[in-house]
Amino acid sequence: MKQRIVLVALVCFCTTGATLAQEFRIFDRRVQVHGFGSQGFVYTNDNNWLTMNTSQGSGAMTDMGLNMSSQITDKFRVGAQVYDRNLGQLEQYHPSLDWAVADYRFRPWLGLRGGKVKTILGLYNDTQDLDFLHTFALLPQSVYSTDLRESTIAHEGGDLYGDVALKRRLGTLSYTAYAGQRRDSQYGGYPYLLQVHGIALTSYGGLQYGGDLRWATPLNGLLVGASRLNEEITGRGTLTLGGTTGPYEEHSNTDWMNEFYGEYTAGKLKLSCEWRRYWRDQAIASGLFRAQTDVRGAYVSASYRVAKRFQFGSYYSRYTINEPLITFPGVFPSHGHIYDTAITGRFDVNRYVNFKIEQHFMAGYGVPGQYPSGFYAAQNQAGLEPDTRALVLKTSFRF
Amino acid sequence: MQTRENTTKAQRVLSIAVVFILFAARGATARDVKIVANPEVKVDSISTSELKSVFLAERQSLRDGSHAEPVFQQGGPAHQAFLREYLGKSDGALQDYYGGLVFTGKASMPKSFRSDAEVVAYVARTRGAIGYVSPAASAEGVRILVVISEGGKSERMLITRVSPEYPETLRRLKIGGTVRLAVTISAQGRVEDVQLLGGNPILGESAVTAVRQWVYALGRSQTVVQVSVPFDPEH
Repeated sequence: MKQRIVLVALVCFCTTGATLAQEFRIFDRRVQVHGFGSQGFVYTNDNNWLTMNTSQGSGAMTDMGLNMSSQITDKFRVGAQVYDRNLGQLEQYHPSLDWAVADYRFRPWLGLRGGKVKTILGLYNDTQDLDFLHTFALLPQSVYSTDLRESTIAHEGGDLYGDVALKRRLGTLSYTAYAGQRRDSQYGGYPYLLQVHGIALTSYGGLQYGGDLRWATPLNGLLVGASRLNEEITGRGTLTLGGTTGPYEEHSNTDWMNEFYGEYTAGKLKLSCEWRRYWRDQAIASGLFRAQTDVRGAYVSASYRVAKRFQFGSYYSRYTINEPLITFPGVFPSHGHIYDTAITGRFDVNRYVNFKIEQHFMAGYGVPGQYPSGFYAAQNQAGLEPDTRALVLKTSFRF
Repeated sequence: MQTRENTTKAQRVLSIAVVFILFAARGATARDVKIVANPEVKVDSISTSELKSVFLAERQSLRDGSHAEPVFQQGGPAHQAFLREYLGKSDGALQDYYGGLVFTGKASMPKSFRSDAEVVAYVARTRGAIGYVSPAASAEGVRILVVISEGGKSERMLITRVSPEYPETLRRLKIGGTVRLAVTISAQGRVEDVQLLGGNPILGESAVTAVRQWVYALGRSQTVVQVSVPFDPEH
């Protein structure tokens, strides 16, 4: 039903091309309303992907967001956005507060924002839901795993940020330092994966802090940067083994992420590359077991606007995971990888609506039973084939 | 005979190419757009980097601390010239840029209008508003800002400098100071326009007369640079 609503909305946008962005006044302050939505369809030749029954073809890929914001004074602004999505077995239309911020900019080089804040991590972490910004229907999953969106998307806390123009025309440095609380929903990829092991998480989250530094270089269009994230996560719930249910807890011994990136835009051409390493040392089942997860992701991408309304893109994405479960009897260290080559065509109907067609050629499937990487044992009970071909069709709108 | 025909054809193609290049080169110069500000904005000039920062929501104030609100056009030649000349982005890239900010809670969508007249009317009544219009547009009720190219000094080397005359009365009264000027230099190096930005008006008049005779090295396009002319009564 909700997919139909999104489709109807899309048809309205296509036919009218209307800008539904609204602006009204409350207490003599302008309030803006903006929204976006997308609908995808995925077909894979064999393995089911992203918790959808993609081998049969699945349209269970919908998301939408709606925000309101207002500039209260020259330097003070407030706003909030509600976000809702369905991705196969994940999220399933449980709307959440995506961000809600109060932002005060003292100077161009110093600003402070607090509330629930989108986390700056790499090039596109904070904009990964905004389909209309990207050439690709799915961002490289080695770095932006859509089933693990919850883990890095936002924190409840604050950011210090600013832009510093360097002298002698050396470009601009932009920095963000943040700290806050991560609070995952129960409908994300990690809680879903643990269900296979009889674990039902009721809460998952903890302290998250880090920073980002990016340099818009003197070479016009070239941006380089680095991000760091640290976290101390605790998950609580219940564990059911052999018909007996007891309390379950896991927590971080060490948990961090490093990311380095670069982006170059010249006219109609855009090149991007990122490298991310995620390291997690986790005490499982109240410290009874210990898991060390080492995930490395990298990609290079290129897109080119061949005409006003049409662009092509391609990327090569490389994901490797090494997760030895230490002191867990009968389970041996696992290694996995996913190497994904994607080719995309994007057509912009107008400023507000676009269509995308994308083909993925994937080799490998990670370690499905141990850490989320797109392929889950629950949807692939007959086992997984080594290679996956996926066709993704997607349309999105914004106003 | 065949050779002569080929030569004529080649010359014709070359002529067309030259005309096309000259036309294209003229396409997006600063002359195609005029920066207008609310009369309460205190500055007379704005640097290219400051202008870019304001229109990319990187700053909400000018260098003197006063509030600045960018005002866009929704299309048209002035819009295209402004994006190309000062922001270095296409219209689509600009929409995406603001989309990324608005949907992640980092900025509000700036005001945009369909015509020069609407921009001028909004800028005239809105404190801190800064917009752009085509050169022929009426600027009634708004202040015109001179855009200072930061690369001006290094890119436009001064070849001939004529010293300003020090008005004798002011020298005797030991009245001196520095005069600030906005100098518009053509691609050929000629001084096309000089505007007094600050300083003693009598000294300014003398400085303007001198600077009009200055000659700069050839440049890629018309440039506006800020020039300071000191007047020291002791020398």
